[in-house]
Amino acid sequence: MPMSSVIWYLYEFARKSWAESFAIAKTNPEIVETPERFRDFPQVFPEYCIACGACTAACPAPNAIKLIRSEDNAEEEGQTYPVINNRGCIRCGFCAEVCPTDPKTITCGENHLIREDFTILPTERMFVIDDYLCIRCKKCLKACQVEGAITEEDNKIIIDQSKCIACGNCLDSCPVKGAIKGIYIAHVQEQKDIIKIIVNSLEESIEDKREDISHLSDDEVYKFDLNIDVMVDRARSILSDDDIILDIFQKVTDRLKLRIVTWDDEKCNRCQLCVNECPSGAITYNKEEDVVERDTEKCLRCSICYQTCPFGVAGYYIARFLLDPPSLDDGVIHITVKASQLPIGAD
Amino acid sequence: MLDALKDVVRKSSIHVCLINTGGCNGCDIEVVALLSPRYDLEQYGIYVHNNPREADVLLITGAVCEQWKENLQRIYSKAPEPKVVVAIGNCPLTGDVFNQEGSSVYAPVSDFIPVDAEIPGCPPRPAEILAAILAVGPDAIAAKGRQKP
Repeated sequence: MPMSSVIWYLYEFARKSWAESFAIAKTNPEIVETPERFRDFPQVFPEYCIACGACTAACPAPNAIKLIRSEDNAEEEGQTYPVINNRGCIRCGFCAEVCPTDPKTITCGENHLIREDFTILPTERMFVIDDYLCIRCKKCLKACQVEGAITEEDNKIIIDQSKCIACGNCLDSCPVKGAIKGIYIAHVQEQKDIIKIIVNSLEESIEDKREDISHLSDDEVYKFDLNIDVMVDRARSILSDDDIILDIFQKVTDRLKLRIVTWDDEKCNRCQLCVNECPSGAITYNKEEDVVERDTEKCLRCSICYQTCPFGVAGYYIARFLLDPPSLDDGVIHITVKASQLPIGAD
Repeated sequence: MLDALKDVVRKSSIHVCLINTGGCNGCDIEVVALLSPRYDLEQYGIYVHNNPREADVLLITGAVCEQWKENLQRIYSKAPEPKVVVAIGNCPLTGDVFNQEGSSVYAPVSDFIPVDAEIPGCPPRPAEILAAILAVGPDAIAAKGRQKP
């Protein structure tokens, strides 16, 4: 047995092909050349850069990427863009993967071309489970029509967005309010406008009641109701979908905690302590008319003037809301206003 | 006469010593790949001896850690003139991922010994290493040899 192997081995050397390859030994050029899909050093296209810094944060090598900015000239500001140092770069391609611009500022290999899975159904709502509120009753798991759209992982119930068809069965089956959130992902700008209308009109309605509120003692609560007809009409002129409008109304009233600052000029002694304390510059002293003025547009409702003023000019109140019953037609927003429990600096 | 002969011989054959000054070993593996039949380094007349006393070319990998600062210079002084130093990978150039704040890495290598050629990459492709050795090796050695009195 060993003898025959040795003969075969020696026979290899006697073959013509062996002699040929021995005489003109050469590396196969295919091996030496860089393969087509080799992930080489990143390429930078400075004109697309938005200077977000994601590439520098993702880079594992300390010396590989620097964000630099070209000098300003008379016409325009300097362009910020990343520069790759080949002597530090490890060609991992993370910078290209995290780059958020489209087209990419940095390209490297082909991984950055991969897009995350998403459902191709044109859905208006996205359903998300709030893990903090979820009680793991798994009713949504049973109600879900799609295999694998809702799964349990590490004792957490998760909705796979790439499989969800947004039918809403899980939301209907959920016994906990807010555990499954149906988020309207369409008409985002319109939704923002409606939220602004609601918040602004709520604030106005409370400031109209300034007289009543300023007499509140520490443990008193001031209650009144606000009809939503006007707000609903304005919202409908922006968006025609009543479901979305009701959803916004409910979410705003459930979550909103409005801070109200009242301003009583009669008590003011022009000490101007608040003028310098105000972080947004909303309070100014008008020399000609000898008054301290508060700009409600600039005001952050931070309570610093309330805590600073020794004469009680600024009042600070917290308001909460409830829409009941939850409908657009006969719904009424109940408003409760309470004096803030914050300590006042002068005491 | 003897010098001229040495030049001719050295142009066609290079002895290499590989020194890892504290890297992740990735570049060393790429050099080993060069030795394998697939790339076949020896067909170019390059021999990896790992003995600095015989070396014409010192291949440096790694980011120079504390223990290597003096040893690197000792090895360099042991290699006979003329000698060429090739830094392989990013570690000897900038310290690469090891050069974090507070780390005991003393890159670049050029702070300790003179470097003739640099091959960036983490790790560089075997073909890139081969091209660099061939580009810098024979001519540099021959030129340095002639400069010697």
